Amino acid sequence: MLYFTLRRLYLLSFTLLMLSIVSFSLSYLFPGDIIVNLSGITNPTLEQRIELNALYKMDDSVFHQYFAYIKQVVNGNLGISMFNNAPIVDEMNTYLPATIELCVTALFIATIFGVTLGFIAAIFHNKWIDKIILAFAMIGYSIPAFWLALILIVIFSILLSWFPSSGQINLLFDVKEVTSFIFIDIWFSDIDDKWLAFQDALRHIFLPAITVAVTPMTIFIRLSRTSMLNVLDSNYIKAARAKGLSNVKIIYHHGIRNALVQIIRQMGMHFAHLVSVVMIAEVVFDWQGIGSWLINSIFQRDYTAIQGGLIAMATFTFLINIFADILYVTLNPIERYKRHGA
Amino acid sequence: MARDNIYLEEEFPTPIKQLWLTFSRTPVVMLAFICYLFLFVMAIIGQFITPHDALEIGDKLLFPPAWSDEGDVEHLLGTDSLGRDMLSRLLHGASLTFGLSFVIVIISMFIGIIIGSFSAITRGVKSSVSTHFLDVILSIPSLLLAIIVIAILGPGLDNILWAIILVTIPQFVHVTRDAIKEEQRKGYVLIPILDGASELRVLITSIYPNIIDKIIIQMTLSQSAAILDIAALGFLGLGAPIPMPEWGAMLADSLDLFYIAPWTTYLPGLTILFTVVVTNLVGEGLRHSLKLQKAN
Amino acid sequence: MNLMKANPKLVTTLLSLFTLLFLAGCDNIKQESVFTEGLIYCSEGAPTTFNPQLVTSGTTIDATSKQLYNRLLDFDNDDFSKIPALAKSWHVTTDGKIITFYLRKDVPFHQTDYFTPTRYMNADDVLFSFNRILDENHPFHASAGGKFPFFKGVNFAQVVNRLEKVDEHTIRFVLNYPDSAFLANLAAPFSVILSAEYGQQILDYNDSNRLNELDNSPIGTGPFKFKEFRNHAVLRFTKHDDYWRQEVEIEQLIFNISPSNTGRLTKLLTHECDVISYPIAPEIIINREDLILEEVTSFNVAFLAFNTQRAPFDNFLVRKAIAHAINREAIISAVYFDQAEIADSLLPQASWGFTDSIPRLPFDIERAKALLNDAGLSEGFSFDLWAMPVQRAYNPNALKMAKLIKADLAQVGIEVNIITYEWSTFLRRLARSEHQSVLIGWSADHPDPDNFFSPLLSCNSIETGRNRAFWCHPEFDDLLSSALLTTDTDKRRDLYIEAQHILAKNIPLFPIAHSKRSQAKQAQISGSILTPFGGISFEDVKKEAVKQ
Repeated sequence: MLYFTLRRLYLLSFTLLMLSIVSFSLSYLFPGDIIVNLSGITNPTLEQRIELNALYKMDDSVFHQYFAYIKQVVNGNLGISMFNNAPIVDEMNTYLPATIELCVTALFIATIFGVTLGFIAAIFHNKWIDKIILAFAMIGYSIPAFWLALILIVIFSILLSWFPSSGQINLLFDVKEVTSFIFIDIWFSDIDDKWLAFQDALRHIFLPAITVAVTPMTIFIRLSRTSMLNVLDSNYIKAARAKGLSNVKIIYHHGIRNALVQIIRQMGMHFAHLVSVVMIAEVVFDWQGIGSWLINSIFQRDYTAIQGGLIAMATFTFLINIFADILYVTLNPIERYKRHGA
Repeated sequence: MARDNIYLEEEFPTPIKQLWLTFSRTPVVMLAFICYLFLFVMAIIGQFITPHDALEIGDKLLFPPAWSDEGDVEHLLGTDSLGRDMLSRLLHGASLTFGLSFVIVIISMFIGIIIGSFSAITRGVKSSVSTHFLDVILSIPSLLLAIIVIAILGPGLDNILWAIILVTIPQFVHVTRDAIKEEQRKGYVLIPILDGASELRVLITSIYPNIIDKIIIQMTLSQSAAILDIAALGFLGLGAPIPMPEWGAMLADSLDLFYIAPWTTYLPGLTILFTVVVTNLVGEGLRHSLKLQKAN
Repeated sequence: MNLMKANPKLVTTLLSLFTLLFLAGCDNIKQESVFTEGLIYCSEGAPTTFNPQLVTSGTTIDATSKQLYNRLLDFDNDDFSKIPALAKSWHVTTDGKIITFYLRKDVPFHQTDYFTPTRYMNADDVLFSFNRILDENHPFHASAGGKFPFFKGVNFAQVVNRLEKVDEHTIRFVLNYPDSAFLANLAAPFSVILSAEYGQQILDYNDSNRLNELDNSPIGTGPFKFKEFRNHAVLRFTKHDDYWRQEVEIEQLIFNISPSNTGRLTKLLTHECDVISYPIAPEIIINREDLILEEVTSFNVAFLAFNTQRAPFDNFLVRKAIAHAINREAIISAVYFDQAEIADSLLPQASWGFTDSIPRLPFDIERAKALLNDAGLSEGFSFDLWAMPVQRAYNPNALKMAKLIKADLAQVGIEVNIITYEWSTFLRRLARSEHQSVLIGWSADHPDPDNFFSPLLSCNSIETGRNRAFWCHPEFDDLLSSALLTTDTDKRRDLYIEAQHILAKNIPLFPIAHSKRSQAKQAQISGSILTPFGGISFEDVKKEAVKQ
């Protein structure tokens, strides 16, 4: 297990190395002055320029420049935003938590509904209900996220008025920003109606989370369906049945666990896709997350922000990947030795 | 009837033909395949058979589709806020959204197969580095990667073409490499090697014909992803430039009309959904037939 | 492994908790006081600063001028006359060169986390507010980069000789020459009164980097005080408890920045916004009982400005050709949904300087082609057309307008590249004259006709960057100056009509439309928010609990 973890960590460091090279070279690739792209100071004065040149070792070889850049990144200096001059790291601290919150909620919803629907489909294998669920999965997998978001807003916000269409919380709740995780911030805030605010935040996260959840949910439906079919078909279950174990117990003890193990594995693989959907959902639902921030940065031609966003989102995705991998092998010891020499 | 052929040599269908034989047995999948062909044809000739010019600004603003009371038969699917015919725009858009995705998949497939084969036949450090590099690219969210390419090159249709090709290549590399490695473990590959054939020759004559089915399946999967990516970039205003009737951009464009002319939003959305469902169904059908084939 | 065994139970528990919370959330929580005491205004853009002295952008004015500050005098919303505000009365000498203001004595400034006032507003504050603009050695003159575009545009520094403090509550403006628009300029939303005491507090920090706090952490006398501006998305004000004019009903005022037009309307329909600016789809709002659509005659004009200092628009023939090639009737119906009229001049019909003697430039492709031919550009050419990214009263959708123009001009062989940036970037680049042509417009700050000319087309306004045409015409400038020197309205009218004829002959700007400004709100919001000039005001707005 230790060996496996070390291997993953090695992979992570390799990945981060690659990522840092990519992100560093972006300063060269983006239009404009390299030093401006690195620092984010749009019109540096002569003194600033000299200072920055020294900081990023612009007069040395590219190799030295790269290490100077890495040094700044490690020290938490990703430059300042070209748009509002705020340090990129501060910006990410405000926006990343909202994205994490959305991802976690979406994965939670996707798992609950995905597993349930998948099991129902497996239990009624080849019946009409199975076919309906599969058709739903196919449509859910194919629907463009932005369009789904609009449809959800039309149905649930405008026609039914059940859920709000934008933002993280009703702005009249004056919740102070501490961690930028809205639910934690509510907990620590000094407002009178915490419970009310909490419900309100929950209502706000619902539609964006559903939008993001649909794609992974359809994948989970198929996974849990397949895994449940395999379970139901396996000899040990037949034996268990013969001994008189009830269906409910079979599902509870064997089905869920097997399905979840598969889901954890796939979660890592599909997380990159999930993040793409999150970015779109954030734009449509006006969610103050890193995705909408990044897309806004494109329009502002805020290159430091794009670079910072790349590092943040890619690292986040890798970490989830590796976390899912490690969790998977923890639950599934056979896999530990299988995956050498990929 | 007497048999013309006296030799009873049994014909072995190629993998691709086998695939087709199983594939064509499911009616839903066949229907999807026909729709797919239809889309393909539209992508080529769609812009020439439009009833109106897709870019021409007319004076009939915001006409609802023909089935509505105020509709007009001349504009079957209504018009948008600049009086452009929706049907014409959607037809023209087929070549942009669907056609472009097809081009993307073809180009990425060729590049992907070359890199994938190279990666499969090399060993040691080179292979390890290329594998890891691939993993890095694969784990960057596709939209993020596309956005970065656009930040470098600037928005525009040809730039998103390259951006999405870059996103799609790793998928093909992955599939090609895994498939080749799987084939290499099989016995039949050993025979030409023992005969002294070069690695490249083995690849071309023995391995490629046997992995082509997997690549075709990957093509449909990649294509549905590419369509969604093109549309998403169009929706975000980073894709097709302003008058182009790319479906995602059309949808974004009509958002402001959502409340007074909902069809201008629903129609492009439905079209994208239809296209992706069709593409996915074809891919799903192929995968299913492959599984059946393996089972036999 | 034990973890996994426990998991199903955990999942069930979480699921039921989730359902419970969700069901609880469906109660009528809208009745709670937190929802009735505050108001959410969804605006189309973010303010660039919190001091109106520094800007001309309507979005910034909306968010700051009448919320945070007061002026010496205001305009009456109905008859456009000047009424007392911080000055309870004033006196103008017969030669028009000395104006004395008698100030109110009971006006407190905001008390916030960053400033606690020790005295009421007095003549020192007025001195401070205007000296900042006039005195180039004033510490806060440079902190704003010396840029006060409105005041530059109306020649404030040339007009005003000096300010005199007569006593604690009397202040005197001594002018170099009479200026008939001077009082109107002081009532404009830019002429706000700041706190001298707060300025002193900032100077005492002794840190030149903190000087811009005067504009970024504002202190004023207005009905609301600044609380925070988060992520360029949420602007929070709280009630100013001791507001001098009246009791403010709203505890919290929130500006939610929502640039998407559909997004804003959606939030209105779902009651996430109480009031929204520039609603699209008015017919939807009219048909709903819980919503109210309001419109106000607004003094504005949308125009296409040609950068007359850059080719090809330095050539009058090209400008005229383009004017003939644009179909404004189509624009009025497609962009304004017929809620506007074609503009032949910059002045709208309601202004007393209006004249109907300006001939209309008809939509005439053949003439446009002939003109291009004369200009030696019969082969056609391509140019950049900048379209502003925000919705304004004068132009609800500049991008759509640009597309229509692009299609029109394609018929005469001209290729248009439509360019747009985020609003603050857009303005910055415009001021630097990076554009070839731009679709923009103007909302008047006050009813005087001068406000349509001096800020937009005077030679002075080139420096402020508001002269989008970068057009300087000495004869035209002379007319404007002489119109300001006289107080005789008839004489002034003649001068402005002459000025309009010069414009019609030169076409530095091609006027497109005059439109109304509209907004929509929930039915339980009462009080007037829209004003004809100088942005919106939430001073006397009330919010009632939703009737069940």
